[in-house]
Amino acid sequence: MFTDETLDALGVESLWRKSQQFAQESRGCQTRPVHTAEAEIQPLLNADNGTQTDPQDHLIYQLPPKGELRPESPGLRDFLHRVEDMVVKELASNAKSHAFDGFDVNWEDQNETVSCIHCLQHPSAQEKGLQVTSISWSCTGSVIACAFGRVDDGDWSTEKSCVCTWNLDRRGLNPKRPDMVIDVARPVMSLSFHPSQPSLIAGGLYSGEVVVWDTNRTQDLILAQTGMSTDTHREPVYQRSEQVCFQVAWVPGPRRGEMVVLSAGSGGRVLLWTVDSDEGRLVLSAGFALIRQQVPHNSALSKNRGSSNVGVTSLALSPWDLDTFLVGSESGLVLKCSFSAQTLAAAPPDGESVTLRAPAQFSFSPRGGPVHSLHCSPFHRNLFVSVGTDGLAHLHSLLQPDPLLSLRVSDSYVFGVRWSPTRPLLFAAATGQGLVQIFDLGRKSLRPAATLDQLTGGQPVYCLEFNPRRKDLLAVGNADGSVNIWHLSTELTEQGPRETAKLEQLANEVAE
Amino acid sequence: VTVLIHHCILYKKAEVEETLKRIQGQKGVQGIIIVNAEGIPIKTTLDNSSTVQYAGLIHQLVMKARSTVRDIDPQNDLTFLRVRSKKNEIMIAPDKDYFLIVIQNPSD
Repeated sequence: MFTDETLDALGVESLWRKSQQFAQESRGCQTRPVHTAEAEIQPLLNADNGTQTDPQDHLIYQLPPKGELRPESPGLRDFLHRVEDMVVKELASNAKSHAFDGFDVNWEDQNETVSCIHCLQHPSAQEKGLQVTSISWSCTGSVIACAFGRVDDGDWSTEKSCVCTWNLDRRGLNPKRPDMVIDVARPVMSLSFHPSQPSLIAGGLYSGEVVVWDTNRTQDLILAQTGMSTDTHREPVYQRSEQVCFQVAWVPGPRRGEMVVLSAGSGGRVLLWTVDSDEGRLVLSAGFALIRQQVPHNSALSKNRGSSNVGVTSLALSPWDLDTFLVGSESGLVLKCSFSAQTLAAAPPDGESVTLRAPAQFSFSPRGGPVHSLHCSPFHRNLFVSVGTDGLAHLHSLLQPDPLLSLRVSDSYVFGVRWSPTRPLLFAAATGQGLVQIFDLGRKSLRPAATLDQLTGGQPVYCLEFNPRRKDLLAVGNADGSVNIWHLSTELTEQGPRETAKLEQLANEVAE
Repeated sequence: VTVLIHHCILYKKAEVEETLKRIQGQKGVQGIIIVNAEGIPIKTTLDNSSTVQYAGLIHQLVMKARSTVRDIDPQNDLTFLRVRSKKNEIMIAPDKDYFLIVIQNPSD
């Protein structure tokens, strides 16, 4: 009668409660795949450095907090009050005093005389009649390198020549036997030691090639060379002559600490080469071409026919402005040029791998003949001196075309000029008569302060260089194949008290 | 009261500058440096790097000169120091709290 039963559950839906769910939309997004890359670096050199600021009361320059005047250092006013009268009295009497007139102190041994301490020769080069075309001191000042070649040969020379180095600080110095002789297939016209690595020498050859030697190597000293590619100083084949490379120099490269080789030649090209020591090549990185029509203010020389290239015979870098360089040409032009010039050169492309630019910005008054040497003053940013075949030395300011001063150096050609590295008013010039004339601009007379006779029997002196470290040494290269090292007197090397001021005065004179 | 103190400070500051100007105006004066007792420059007419160089070196020199004078005679003391060189002369007026350094080129 009674049984168990289970009933289904009963559900009652709510009438008033609605579903709370509204319309729903879903969206999703995702960024594009993220690019990742992994790279590892390892520094080769480590350096640790720490800094710490000084505690507040030790700071030298304290800016006063805004809106409040800090009190002066306590007692400063009273201190100045106490000492002012005494100091002013001393200053005034010092300005009038003659007590120290002519008073000189000898801290070092005075050297009264100028003497030739070494006469370096390479007998086998001298036998062949080779001349010293260029000399260069290493950056340490102990090694002198000289290049042999010929300056007076008109035509293409296939003569073998050499580059010799002597280390003057070595005990067993034999002036007749160089420490190192590098044989070169062509005459070398220009030589330049690397400014910070004492073993690298750059040389410019008669054939237009540029070579860099590394004297640290035992075999095959050539570190890099240009080779006979179309990039070297080479005029088109139909002209049948090659450009002579007259000047090489090391200039700072685009990357910090890197130096590139600059070469300038008779074809009017100024080229910059990067040293690729792995491949042993000099790679052309930039080039400039000097074309007569692109030289500013060039009315005087437009009468010349012939090649439109401006052959470069000398070049000078400015130690003050790394962008400026000066160029002297075969026709007597002296030009101020810039490494950052952007104008393209109007030269027909010769297969070079870089576009050539025209660097000339300013033209100084032209000389009567080829400009053999230029040098910028290490003591004044605007001054430079130039010499050429007219026998005169012109002192120029970079700011005006006419020279400030014109000195007669010799009756014949002048081949080299260099400013003294220690005396602002002194420069030395090498003449075609075998003399080195040293001029002191502080003297009233325009005659040379000293004359060094190279005893070459009247043969010319082609080059001269002051030692960058030892201020009393001057090296002179002669046409008879010898290099003389001169020891200068104290008078020619010690800077006088007012020399920089006098140089400044000279530079500011306007030429009449 | 605050206003009065500010005026005094201004007056003091102007006096210091006036004094320095008077000294600077003497013939041949190239630069003036005032150094405090610890050798730290507090006023200068030269550029930063020269100032720091002069201050450090001259402070040591003055200390040495003073001890030399007092070692010779303990009752004596340094009043003035002049260093004459080829190119110029450095005059130093020492004191308890400050040194006054004046660089003069007498032939200018």
